[in-house]
Amino acid sequence: MNQEQTTGHPHIRPGRSPLVERTERATVGQTTVEDPRISCKNVAVYYDAKKAISNINLDIGRNEVIAMIGPSGCGKSTFLRCLNRMNDTIEGCTVSGQIFMDGKNIYDSDVDVVPLRAQVGMVFQKPNPFPKSIYDNIAYGARIHGLVQNRDETDELVVGSLKRAGLWGEVKDRLKMSGTSLSGGQQQRLCIARAIAVNPEVILMDEPCSSLDPIATAIIEELIDELKQDYTIVIVTHSMQQASRISHRTAYFYQGDLVEVGSTDQVFLNPLHQLTEDYITGRFE
Amino acid sequence: MAPFHLLLTLCVLAIAGFFIGRSKSFAVCSAQGGPRALHSRPIYYGILTAIWCAVPALIVFSFWYFFQSTIIMDLVIADLPDPIRFLPEDRLNLVVNDIKNIVAGNIVAGNISPAIQAAADHYKSLEKTAQVALSVIITAMAIIAIAGVYLKITPTLRARNYVEKIIEGLLIACTSLAVFTTIGIVASVFYEAIRFFKIVPVYKFLFGLQWSPQMAIHAEQIGSSGAFGAIPVILGTMLIAGIAMCVAVPVGLMAAIYLAEYANKNFRNIAKPLLEILAGIPTVVYGFFAALVVAPAIRDAGGILGFSVSSESALAAGIVMGIMIIPFVSSLSDDVINAVPQSLRDGALSLGSTRSETITNVVLPAALPGIVGGVLLAVSRAIGETMIVVMAAGLSANLTVNPFQAVTTVTVQIVTLLVGDQEFDSAKTLAAFALGLLLFVITLALNVVALIVVRKYREHYE
Repeated sequence: MNQEQTTGHPHIRPGRSPLVERTERATVGQTTVEDPRISCKNVAVYYDAKKAISNINLDIGRNEVIAMIGPSGCGKSTFLRCLNRMNDTIEGCTVSGQIFMDGKNIYDSDVDVVPLRAQVGMVFQKPNPFPKSIYDNIAYGARIHGLVQNRDETDELVVGSLKRAGLWGEVKDRLKMSGTSLSGGQQQRLCIARAIAVNPEVILMDEPCSSLDPIATAIIEELIDELKQDYTIVIVTHSMQQASRISHRTAYFYQGDLVEVGSTDQVFLNPLHQLTEDYITGRFE
Repeated sequence: MAPFHLLLTLCVLAIAGFFIGRSKSFAVCSAQGGPRALHSRPIYYGILTAIWCAVPALIVFSFWYFFQSTIIMDLVIADLPDPIRFLPEDRLNLVVNDIKNIVAGNIVAGNISPAIQAAADHYKSLEKTAQVALSVIITAMAIIAIAGVYLKITPTLRARNYVEKIIEGLLIACTSLAVFTTIGIVASVFYEAIRFFKIVPVYKFLFGLQWSPQMAIHAEQIGSSGAFGAIPVILGTMLIAGIAMCVAVPVGLMAAIYLAEYANKNFRNIAKPLLEILAGIPTVVYGFFAALVVAPAIRDAGGILGFSVSSESALAAGIVMGIMIIPFVSSLSDDVINAVPQSLRDGALSLGSTRSETITNVVLPAALPGIVGGVLLAVSRAIGETMIVVMAAGLSANLTVNPFQAVTTVTVQIVTLLVGDQEFDSAKTLAAFALGLLLFVITLALNVVALIVVRKYREHYE
């Protein structure tokens, strides 16, 4: 039991304004950025009648790495899947609100999800390479989108993507081998290479390191650090250390609400909301 | 006691043994603080007692009945008057049959000599004695077993381990039953086929182009020497099975894709059982559907288009058979498509694949081994199906690949060969076994080929 709860008084530290109380669920912090890549307005998601997230307003800037943190079931993955409309594949899932990308609401009825998903790539929690060769795993997306015309272009793209994902040195001699024969960390980098091979603008990562060991995690984090030069990266993570290492901004979700958004330094060192502080200091119940 | 009553008694004893064993286990552990002091749970002591009570007794019981009639008959023959006892073997067998008939209360031809009547009475009395002896032995064995286990039960008796060993043995027995049955069937078919090949040479059977298994019943009959060339029959089988697969595979696979990937849950829950009902319709019903509805329709349609279609055609049988096996393909394919992990679909969709690209490029290749398995099962059904062919495709073994003509299949020929009233060792009857062996070899080959294909594909993708 911590003291704040028993006394009911807001936690006050010298030289700081009082934290926002736990019962207050409106988002605090800086939700907007200048010239955003993606801009979410009042996004809410329901699974049948059950509310997953509601009232999410959040801008995602260009070439920024934004981390979503929060306890399990808080809706951060659900939010992530809204950004490339992967929630469409879940039966009974309804999304309301607007998500603007290049000034266009991606939930408008005239938007086709196929080009959208090519534009917004995704890496999943569990590595999910296709049961095809490493080469075909990378070439698959580019082939269906017609990005490559012939064998030489495909070779070039495969090599380039693998190099960017930092996997080339490890697999260059066995491109014909199945993608599923790689180790977990290699598989995840293969999935990243596969995602960047279709030349997206935004990459969504749903806990990409949760099934990997620390060394594989460090390699992926380095990779994210390089990729942020060219891509906007939205990453969901359970690891606060990871969020603080790799992200510019951090968004804290709690029970379907976006509680606090701000620069990563500010959220971790000087949170504005009591719930955020509870979580980052480990006092989350 | 009659055998049935004896078994009932044994059953009761076994149940009693269970409770006796269990209560003994409670009794032996009560001083040491209840069942936790036991090596195994009390129920295992009960089961162990019951097994010891029933199983050895049952083994003795079955052996006894296996040998009883032979032994008693030997005793009876030994007591027969000398003139009968030293008859030639075949005559003696007739006498034995007479005795058995009298014992069973059947009507016996001719007059019964007093000696045989006496022998029959002797047989009956011996049987009664044996019955009593068996009852006593079995009951005694069961009771002694119960008592033996009862005395052995201590808290340290490893009852669970023994019971588990016995159950493992039971599982092994069940497995070997299936294996040995297969071996037995193959061996018997093989043996009879060898006999056939002694009459008709193998090459004439395998490569002969004419199938007309009519053998002369009387020596003076002419024109019925029989021709046992299997090619027309095999070709007919292939033709009908091929037509059936042409119907079943595309339709079944597409139905499976729709059900697994596109249909909503409610539709799926209704449509899938309805589709599976197709597999539950008796093939005779399909047969007259084929003969009365499909075959005339095809004949009429062929007439309009200017083809001459016989009223019994391979096409009619093949189409109806195809409809029959749709659920085999669709249901199994649906299951394997559903078993493809959602993460693979998500991966493909997140790269911007359309739904159909996801299905054709990712889901179906991943599900392929299972789909091939389903198709293979369907092929076996198509090759083995008899009733529809009898009713819709006829019996005439034409050497043709024209689907508008009547053809026949291996299974149909086996049936027609065996329902005749010829002696069993005629070439006509034995031909059925040769056909059966051929069918077995063909399906086995199909299985092997499919396995190799699937394995090659797997190596390529996994």
